[in-house]
Amino acid sequence: MQLVIENLSKTYSNGVQALKNVSLTINQGMFGLLGPNGAGKSSLMRTIATLQEASSGSITLGNLDVLHQKHEVRKILGYLPQEFGVYPRVTAETMLDHIADLKGIVDKKQRKEIVQTLLEKVNLIQFRNKNLGTFSGGMKQRFGVAQALIGNPKLIIVDEPTAGLDPAERNRFYNLLSEIGENTIVILSTHIVEDVTNLCSNMAIICLGEVIAQGHPANLVESLQGKVWSRIIEKTELTIFRNSFQVISTQLKAGKTQIHVLSDIRPDEDFKPVEAGLEDVYFSKIAEKTDIVTM
Amino acid sequence: MFWKIFLFEVRYRFKRPATYAYFFVLFLFAFVSGIYGNSPASEKVFVNSAYAIGYFMIILSIFETLIASAVMGVPVYRDIEYRTKDYFFTYPITEKSYLLGRFLGSFVILIFISFGYHVGAWLGGPLGVLTGEVEPERFGPFILYHYIYNTLVLNIPNLFFTGTVFFALVALTRKIVVTYVGSVILFIGYLLANALTQDLDNKDLVDILDPYALTTYINATKYWTPSEQNITLIPLEGNFLWNRILWIGISLLLFAFTFFRFSFRSMLEVSSGKIKNEEAVERKGRSLSDLPVVQKVYSQSVYLRKLFRLGLLEFNNIIKDFYFIAILLAGVLFLFLDGWFGSPTFGTPSLPLTYYMLEVKDYNYIIFVFIIIIFYTGEVVHRDKSVNYANIADALPIPNWVVYGSKFLSLVLISFVLVNLVLVCGIFNQVIKGYFNFEFGMYFTDLYLIEFPEYLQLAMLAFLVHILINNKFIGHVVSIGIWVALFGLRNFAELNYNLFFYSYIPEYRISDMNGFGHFLKSITWFNVYWLSLGSIFLVIGNLFWNRGAETSFSTRWQLVKERFSGLPAAALTFFTILWIGSGIFIYYNMSVLNVYRTAKEGRKISADFEKSYKKFEFTVQPKVTDVKVNIDIFPEDRTTKSSGIFTIVNKSKQPIDSLILNVGSPIDHTTIESLTLDGDDLKLILNDEVNRFYIYKMPRTMQPGDTMKMEITMDARYKGFPNSGLGRQIVYNGTFFDLSIFPSFGYPGDPLNSDKDRKKYGLPKKDYTLPPQTDPHGLSNLLFNDDADYVTFEATISTDADQIAVAPGYLQKEWMKDGRKYYHYKMEGEMDLFFNISSARYAIHRDTWKGKNGEVVNIEIFHHPSHAYNIERYVKSVKASLDYYADNFKPYQYKQMRILEFPRYAGFAQSFPNTVPYTESFGWVADNSDPDDTDYTFYVTAHEVAHQWWGHQVTPSATRGANQISESMAEYSSLMVLQHEYGVDCMQNRLKYSLDRYLRGRAGEDKFEETLLENDSRSYVWYEKGSLVLYSLQDLLGEARLNSAFKKFIDTAAFRQHPPFATSREWYSYIQEATPDSLKYFIEDSFEKIALYENRITKAIAEPLKDNQYKVTMTVQTRKLYYDGLGKETGKGTGKDLIDIGIFTEDGKNDKGMIKKVPLYLKKHWLGEGEHIIKLVVQGKPVKAGIDPYNKLIDRIPDDNMKTVEEK
Repeated sequence: MQLVIENLSKTYSNGVQALKNVSLTINQGMFGLLGPNGAGKSSLMRTIATLQEASSGSITLGNLDVLHQKHEVRKILGYLPQEFGVYPRVTAETMLDHIADLKGIVDKKQRKEIVQTLLEKVNLIQFRNKNLGTFSGGMKQRFGVAQALIGNPKLIIVDEPTAGLDPAERNRFYNLLSEIGENTIVILSTHIVEDVTNLCSNMAIICLGEVIAQGHPANLVESLQGKVWSRIIEKTELTIFRNSFQVISTQLKAGKTQIHVLSDIRPDEDFKPVEAGLEDVYFSKIAEKTDIVTM
Repeated sequence: MFWKIFLFEVRYRFKRPATYAYFFVLFLFAFVSGIYGNSPASEKVFVNSAYAIGYFMIILSIFETLIASAVMGVPVYRDIEYRTKDYFFTYPITEKSYLLGRFLGSFVILIFISFGYHVGAWLGGPLGVLTGEVEPERFGPFILYHYIYNTLVLNIPNLFFTGTVFFALVALTRKIVVTYVGSVILFIGYLLANALTQDLDNKDLVDILDPYALTTYINATKYWTPSEQNITLIPLEGNFLWNRILWIGISLLLFAFTFFRFSFRSMLEVSSGKIKNEEAVERKGRSLSDLPVVQKVYSQSVYLRKLFRLGLLEFNNIIKDFYFIAILLAGVLFLFLDGWFGSPTFGTPSLPLTYYMLEVKDYNYIIFVFIIIIFYTGEVVHRDKSVNYANIADALPIPNWVVYGSKFLSLVLISFVLVNLVLVCGIFNQVIKGYFNFEFGMYFTDLYLIEFPEYLQLAMLAFLVHILINNKFIGHVVSIGIWVALFGLRNFAELNYNLFFYSYIPEYRISDMNGFGHFLKSITWFNVYWLSLGSIFLVIGNLFWNRGAETSFSTRWQLVKERFSGLPAAALTFFTILWIGSGIFIYYNMSVLNVYRTAKEGRKISADFEKSYKKFEFTVQPKVTDVKVNIDIFPEDRTTKSSGIFTIVNKSKQPIDSLILNVGSPIDHTTIESLTLDGDDLKLILNDEVNRFYIYKMPRTMQPGDTMKMEITMDARYKGFPNSGLGRQIVYNGTFFDLSIFPSFGYPGDPLNSDKDRKKYGLPKKDYTLPPQTDPHGLSNLLFNDDADYVTFEATISTDADQIAVAPGYLQKEWMKDGRKYYHYKMEGEMDLFFNISSARYAIHRDTWKGKNGEVVNIEIFHHPSHAYNIERYVKSVKASLDYYADNFKPYQYKQMRILEFPRYAGFAQSFPNTVPYTESFGWVADNSDPDDTDYTFYVTAHEVAHQWWGHQVTPSATRGANQISESMAEYSSLMVLQHEYGVDCMQNRLKYSLDRYLRGRAGEDKFEETLLENDSRSYVWYEKGSLVLYSLQDLLGEARLNSAFKKFIDTAAFRQHPPFATSREWYSYIQEATPDSLKYFIEDSFEKIALYENRITKAIAEPLKDNQYKVTMTVQTRKLYYDGLGKETGKGTGKDLIDIGIFTEDGKNDKGMIKKVPLYLKKHWLGEGEHIIKLVVQGKPVKAGIDPYNKLIDRIPDDNMKTVEEK
């Protein structure tokens, strides 16, 4: 099964164009959607998750027309929204059971089994009788994953799942996601490069509503290999360097500013070659679209 | 620092559109009501009178509670909502300046908003005059001070109170939801205070405890006359002053508490209680890929089951909600209290009949139902969104209709609970009152077939609104706004065509006699009509159901088009056809079978009628001398066929060549089918079907003294159902109509009497409906019917076999023919032309009265079989009345006295010759278990029996003041019968109602008050002032002396065959004759003038002497003021008046178990204006003392006449 997005555009009623002609083909496996805040990631995710209409273009999942056969899509969908709430006075177990029921699992025993398994899986089993209102951010996020995984979804969408998680929780989360079967399409949107590096076999970078790069992360990194140079400069010199070089990122290091520059040849002696990373790909692509200042 | 915060707040709020929106709402309210000249008082009180301004200020401040909660709740909450608190409080500001600045800044805004009313009123009134909507004389001079004063004592203190409450609630709890709760609690508390006023004894307490001072204001002003209302501002004294002090004090305390309690620290507190993010021990579980593969089922039956499960879940969510429980409990409390208090008559309660238990649902409970349905519709529609769960839920594979259907189902269940609570409360009330006749059929019909659909319709509309608006708060506002608009249109713009008013149905009333009667048909059609429209709303709501993240209307519209498929289309078509179809049927009934007119159209027709036909007012017409009628009643069809042979005589000195007939029957379709004079047809020369006014050319001219036989057949019936009106004359069980089923002669009198309306339609001002006592035309006609003087009467009536038909006269014969029952009645001797026809399935109670001279009168009580509770009271009253009137006035003219029950569609009793129809709601079901409650069954029956003398023996002339001979005399007679039966101690309780009604009546006068001698149309004068004056008069003159004067009068006036007929002057001359010179002042004041006493006792001190003797020193004040018709003071009494002075010991009980005053001293003293110190020695311990302690005199403040005696 394949998720094919073709020429998808979305303009909000206030005139903001959230998606511009997005075309993507997503195969089974983990797909990362990387982009800065406000790039249109969530708009795209919501549209795939049947919660938002498109102004033009199409999305197909196998032989389903996602934009119009919403109900059929929902039957095989698992969705973890970026922000979601829960009924505060309901226990995790009851809520999951309820959602399982709504997802079409009518057999009580099956429902109980899957809820138990998922609670164990997301490490909430000992809190299953606690009201959701008492959950911390990380626990709530794990609950969110559990509900998305109910019912053997064929398409899983997780929108910014790691935002607000501490490093340990993030790790656990990676482990969890990595276990999802190979024959499922998982789309993960994030603005954290590390998420994609760790998890995804395929990815796209989206910025200002447009897809500006896509492919296998390693391949994308490969294309920059040998072209990224680094130098420590005074903060005051930044403007000069910006005018002379294609600065893709700046970073503070012990009070000094370290810049990464994209260039086919070594700009001068003071620049040191560096191993290109996905981060460099990301920043270089984004830098083409916007003027980012990473201070 | 304070100034900076204050100014920032004010500037910020002045930039917010909400400030102007609120201002505009108040402006609009005042502006529109100004244009239409709306006023809380009578026509003679200016729209901008001091009274009206004050009244509106209070009403305004009650409405402004909602605005106050919005304006005063947010200034502190803003920092929580926008999370500015996290840094704002790190600035160098103090808590006190922060709080004070925010509070005062917002309060200034609140006051500014309230000025929307002032501006609206100032602009609306003049515009109304300019456009001709209101007559200029409805406005008095503009007096700025009236606005300033009322703003200062009423509006601002009220705003200060509500504002402080909401400010404090939010500042201390840091939750905005408490403002909702606060509003509801205030509101409930307010209703509760009003419910308690039903008990008159708590008046002072309620006056002081009413936070808005509305009851205080109404109580303080209720007896103000129109001219006083125009210029008088509520004085800052007494209960009103205490009220203001109390509530301003409470507000200040509350503010001070907040001021000292508030701290930034508590604002910044994070709510704890979260589970610590403890590290659970990692357990090696199964891999995710090993998750069991589940079987998923998606079928219609599964969806349907889910719909019910989700519905129940949602229902449980609602009923577990704390606020829901609170609001519901409050509603039930009112349901219970309203049922408990009932609607007493003369302070006497009714038995807790099922329909009373049902009717209380529309008193206060319905408001709670509205709140619950609108509020919780918003909650369920937005629940998933408001907790952000929608992001998950909306992507689940559940069709829209399941989610949507479950939400609606939960409201259906809530509605069902709400209607059943009426049943539970009703039964509960009945049980604790010891009434066990549970009529579940009546409960179920009313609650499930009429009330339940209404709640559903409410929910259906609220659903649509909330879905379309897609914002909870605005959704509430719009939902409530729709109902306010419908209510406003009906009540202020006088529009009432029910087809246009969502969820409205024609008025209905349940009766024990007639059940739901003919109403059920129209209600059912209306329910089909509104439920169809509601279902259309539901389908549209489903199409618009907001799923996913889209909020723009155009995208949602796209979705609607996408969702609009076969099923919704079919449903829409079905319900639209049903809606329009039932609408057409209803329209056919209301506007084709029947005639619908707006109030305005009705007035226009009335005005045109007068303009066209007033010229016939004095056209001489013949007089009826003999009546023989045949009337066939068909209760099931609600039709009648009537024929009559009327012998008519030209009693005038002029020839008569044409008959003017007007059909005044209230039965909607009453037509003349045939008309002949001495067997000849008449030529119709004027045929006005709209006004049912006809002129016929007589076949030959009727010369003075000529006699003719007029034969007429009439058809009177109801067709279909009308928009409004109870259609009570012919019903399935309990038919009651009068002689107006036949036409009457000549011009029937002006239909339009209000000065305001007459001016508007270009009719001359009309001060009186009757001519002076010297008018020859008036003197030669009778007041109640100018078509005849006295007549002989016979009637044959037929009705269904299981019903009994009754008319005045004695039953001659009864027989069955063709499955119908026939009754032939004939009156012995003569009677005035005034008869009724009644028919129902009656039970009859019979008794006889024997007079001193051996005369026998048969007493018959025709009653609904289950209404046998108080039959003995009727019988006892008839006997006591016959005794008293025969002894003191004249023998009873008939051998029978009958009382008939009729359904409670009308609320009166009426005395026809030997026959008194008596409404179902009056006495039959009175609960007289408390002996201190007035036995009004006894009293009213005595009044109606008295009319056999005063009204039927003495028939007043058609002149001013003459009706006092009928009504005031009937009141006096019945008061005497009451006093003889129950003793003097029940009189004060009875007369206080007369005094209250008299004082209220003159306060609400639309023209001007008239004296007892001149009054032609004011019932508060002929009943209430008549009662008070004549009772006092017999107290002063002696009962025997006064009665002998009345006896002389009745001897000359009874059955007077020739004009001049009796006038008030003639009646008065006998009173004058009986009155000694020393008391002439009293009758002049009472009959010829408008005089009110102001008596009060200010001090009463007792000093014990030996042998259980006490010396009592009383300080009393007395004053008598004269007024003109508009209630303007014209002078004061100068002479001395005879007034009771009394000293009483502990109350006792009389032989009827009633509380009885025990006087140690009771004598009349001659007292002039001013303060008097009276010293008396009494035997026994004095407890109370007073001036006019029995309230026999007309006194504006009757409550200050008695005082507890202090011991020295």
